[in-house]
Amino acid sequence: MAKPDTQLPRFQVFLQEKTGQPHQDVGSVHASDPEMALLNARDVFVRRPECTSLWVVLADAIFSKTAQELEEQELGDKGLGDEGVKEESGEVENYYIFYKPKPTGTQTLVGEVPAAAPVEALRLALERFSGDKPPSAWWILPARRVLVSSPDDIESMFAPAQDKKFRLSTDFHTLTEMRRVKSEFGGQ
Amino acid sequence: MFEKTAESVQEESSEAEKLRLFEARIARGEKIEPGDWMPAEYRRQLIRMISQHAHSEIVGMLPEGAWITRAPSLRRKMILLAKVQDEAGHGQYLYHAAETLGISREEMLAALLEGRAKYASVFNYPTLTWADVGVIGYLVDFAAILNQTMLARCSYGPYARAMVRICAEENFHKKQGQDIVIHLASGTSSQKAMVQDSINRWWWPTLMMFGPHDGESPNTPVLVGWGIKTRTNDELRQSFVNQIVPELHSLGLSLPDPSLHYNKATGDWIIGEIDWDEFWRVINGHGPCNQERMEARRRAHEEGAWVREALSAYNG
Repeated sequence: MAKPDTQLPRFQVFLQEKTGQPHQDVGSVHASDPEMALLNARDVFVRRPECTSLWVVLADAIFSKTAQELEEQELGDKGLGDEGVKEESGEVENYYIFYKPKPTGTQTLVGEVPAAAPVEALRLALERFSGDKPPSAWWILPARRVLVSSPDDIESMFAPAQDKKFRLSTDFHTLTEMRRVKSEFGGQ
Repeated sequence: MFEKTAESVQEESSEAEKLRLFEARIARGEKIEPGDWMPAEYRRQLIRMISQHAHSEIVGMLPEGAWITRAPSLRRKMILLAKVQDEAGHGQYLYHAAETLGISREEMLAALLEGRAKYASVFNYPTLTWADVGVIGYLVDFAAILNQTMLARCSYGPYARAMVRICAEENFHKKQGQDIVIHLASGTSSQKAMVQDSINRWWWPTLMMFGPHDGESPNTPVLVGWGIKTRTNDELRQSFVNQIVPELHSLGLSLPDPSLHYNKATGDWIIGEIDWDEFWRVINGHGPCNQERMEARRRAHEEGAWVREALSAYNG
């Protein structure tokens, strides 16, 4: 008998460490829906006091282009807009633009643009956010597909980690302790 | 029909060109991302390494998890709970990093549960005393940090980024273990005896974690060439020994290796020969706890079946 598929869809997770900082990609979780993805993301990525906001989005809803792909393909109407994106509303809507500014970096929120399709959002992003050095990869997220943790969630979702200082390596004074023991042994 | 067509020759040369560009990117220190072209062997090696690493995190919860109910104080219990929870989280980061290469979490878990996948041999040894929790954190997690600090510079972006997160958290693991070891080593005579016994049992399995000697490690050259690894097994093992031996000595602890000595010329601590028969025996499933570990994983998977079924029913 075939095993049931318990894989569940993959959601990409973006975390904001402090208010005012951009959301950054931290990885992904599996979940049956965005609400569950947000709860799983909290458990997997917020075990320490370093989060003020979480976003989750179905991985399939991300329109992704690496610099290498952009070099190889022309950013035309065909061949770019239909892959990786399962649905398009056809109407103008907001897209969040993430990019990896350096080849060693992490996908980071850089802004948002209104567009009728992901490929158009990418075109606008290339014009507006490319800078002197072109980013090494782009992620385009339709804003309506992103589930954002509410400010009301901070207390229940993120505040408990604040008290768990023992999870931080700075809570252990092993260097001082080693010195103490060494001096007790008389510098043996 | 075996003659090469013009098309197939062109295809071959374009593959060679792609490989050349790929290797040039790695030489420039760029990260390879999902969606970028990569050689099939690069993908295969990464899936092998990342999934083994993920399995090690998941199986690694078991030896220490056994002591959660018996931790000597509420603070130590909270710390140990947090640490074991971190290991579960690290397994998650890593399974997801491997998924970006086109394998599913279900496939990887099936390989582990069916005994086809490897994981760190060190977790096939039993945790007999509370001191083992300290020594695992101090020695085993420190050994892991050296390996993972190297992997945080690895050429594959998702693996490197997972490693950066993991290393930050592993520092807590090492320090809480070191803290336990310091307390026991400066405690009563029976506490000292307990931590010495634990060091004696974990020393060699920890050294084996770095893997076979460079000459016996068939994957090393290709992994170094593609920037997946930047240091060899023996180099990492030597770094570990050089740092940990003086620390343990300063705590009044000895190591179970009569030929351990300091080489003044090189500044290295030289260890005796590792029992490689034991290493291969444990890797191939015949260590003290291999069967127990796999049974615990299978039981957890079976007992969680109803949750997965409920989720997919809800999702369907």
